[in-house]
Amino acid sequence: MFVPSVTHPIGDFIRDLVPRVAEYLPASIQSEDLNSVVAFLINAVICIVAVCIVNIGSAPILIYMERKVCAHVQCRLGPMRLGWHGTLQTIADVIKMLFKEVYAPSGADKLMFYLAPLIVLIAPFIVCALIPFDKNLVVADVSMGIPLIIAVNGFGVLGILLGGWSSNNKYSLLGALRSGAQMISYEISFAMILLFVVMISGSTNLMSITMGQEGTIFDWWIFKIPVLGFIAFILFFISSTAEMNRAPFDIAEAEQELTGGYHTEYNGTPFAMFYLAEYIALITNSALATTCFLGGFFPPCIGIAAVDNVLNMVPGVVWFFAKIYFMVWCYMMVRWTFVRPRVDQLMDFEWKFLLPVNLVLLVAGAAFIALGL
Amino acid sequence: MFPDLPLSFPMGGMDIAFYVVAFVILMTAVCCVAVKNILQSAVFLIFSFVTTAILYMLMHAEFIALAQVMVYVGGVVIFVVFTILLTSHLGEDAFSTKMPRIFTAFALSIAFVFVMVKCVLPTPDLASGIVNSPADYSSLQNFALRLLGNDPNGFIIPFEIVSVLLLMTLICAITVARRSKEDIEEEASK
Repeated sequence: MFVPSVTHPIGDFIRDLVPRVAEYLPASIQSEDLNSVVAFLINAVICIVAVCIVNIGSAPILIYMERKVCAHVQCRLGPMRLGWHGTLQTIADVIKMLFKEVYAPSGADKLMFYLAPLIVLIAPFIVCALIPFDKNLVVADVSMGIPLIIAVNGFGVLGILLGGWSSNNKYSLLGALRSGAQMISYEISFAMILLFVVMISGSTNLMSITMGQEGTIFDWWIFKIPVLGFIAFILFFISSTAEMNRAPFDIAEAEQELTGGYHTEYNGTPFAMFYLAEYIALITNSALATTCFLGGFFPPCIGIAAVDNVLNMVPGVVWFFAKIYFMVWCYMMVRWTFVRPRVDQLMDFEWKFLLPVNLVLLVAGAAFIALGL
Repeated sequence: MFPDLPLSFPMGGMDIAFYVVAFVILMTAVCCVAVKNILQSAVFLIFSFVTTAILYMLMHAEFIALAQVMVYVGGVVIFVVFTILLTSHLGEDAFSTKMPRIFTAFALSIAFVFVMVKCVLPTPDLASGIVNSPADYSSLQNFALRLLGNDPNGFIIPFEIVSVLLLMTLICAITVARRSKEDIEEEASK
């Protein structure tokens, strides 16, 4: 009998463990099939729990971090009263939000209204499953990682459009249409940059993209290709900020103009899900930037043996999360530093600047590889 | 002792997955044409496309599955939703169909099913082809080498023709949509 298996060292460990535990069962119910099915189910549950812990666990940390970064940029202290330096504030806020009553505005399309937050959450969760956190820590090591990421990103637009329309509110609909147009446009340059990474690394699998950057800090894709890598990194940073609908590209929400955009009418748990999706997208995009440009889980070795040995003693997953949080900090500083462009400026920027630059970058990268520099 | 029911499928998990996915495709497809609200039917259409992609995935045609999601969910249906949101008067009146139209649709779908069955069934190794093909038969690398190969088996020339065609469409769309200089001057004079 064929049972899909989770190819993975932890999966192998479980597959090895299950038959040994099964020996204690009565002989009449022991069978090879049962063992493989049980091992598969246990592995699947482990994968799901891992993705949920990384995603849902990091959201409160990010919200706390965002408040602190925002406060310090504006010369304030941020939350200080609940717990040490306000660490319990986010947890209190999450509990408050989950216990709120959930209701839809009158005249809203109930099915679509409650479906939209679920659809928005699809993309970040799938992308998170593809990220290699360490040599053995990846949930789905699929060969077509990058196309899958580009494909599932479409769900975000869909969720926002549905949420905005089903709220039965003019501001929501306007916000949804604006952000839909924005996300579709920036998705193109986002995909182009990922294509550039695929081109220089010669693989669409995120694990082999990371493995191609083994060695010193100058083997990371951001430095390995002189100048082009750095330009690509900056372009990725810009387009992923727009893709996530974060300020300075938060045309979707623009609270001064649209009273909150597509999630104006949402409250309680559905609103928390929109919020969660936004912060998970922050984590997954930082993880993508880390994987594609900043050497993934490899330590920043500099080529001096004494230093490198110390750096290599730290586990890869620690380096990975350090890099992720560095990227998150960059996104947050950008958010609280730059001003928001107008809608037409935003579109001009994408179609008249980012896209042509991306195309030139792709050609330059191809030339770089063809000439074998 | 242990119930033999789900394990009696020749391929176990894959068979069960196939029937579940096929059932979901049918349900979403029926919902797509049955619901009164046009936006809801667009959403069911999306779910139908996504489950079709999962079906391709079960047949190890991974690139087709991803292309399906990329093109239909990320592109086509988003534009359908956009058009619906921008044009139709949603919620004012649900569209209804008259009886003869239903019969026509019914006859058309029966004919379509007939043609498909007639075309697909004679395929040799229909049941065993996927199982018996080598493991990396449909991998991205092999797929790309075949699609972009310039030997007699390759598809490089159709590929290039299609890309030029798409570029033409893109440029034509921009030409139709752009404002002419006279329009801009007219606006400026106002």
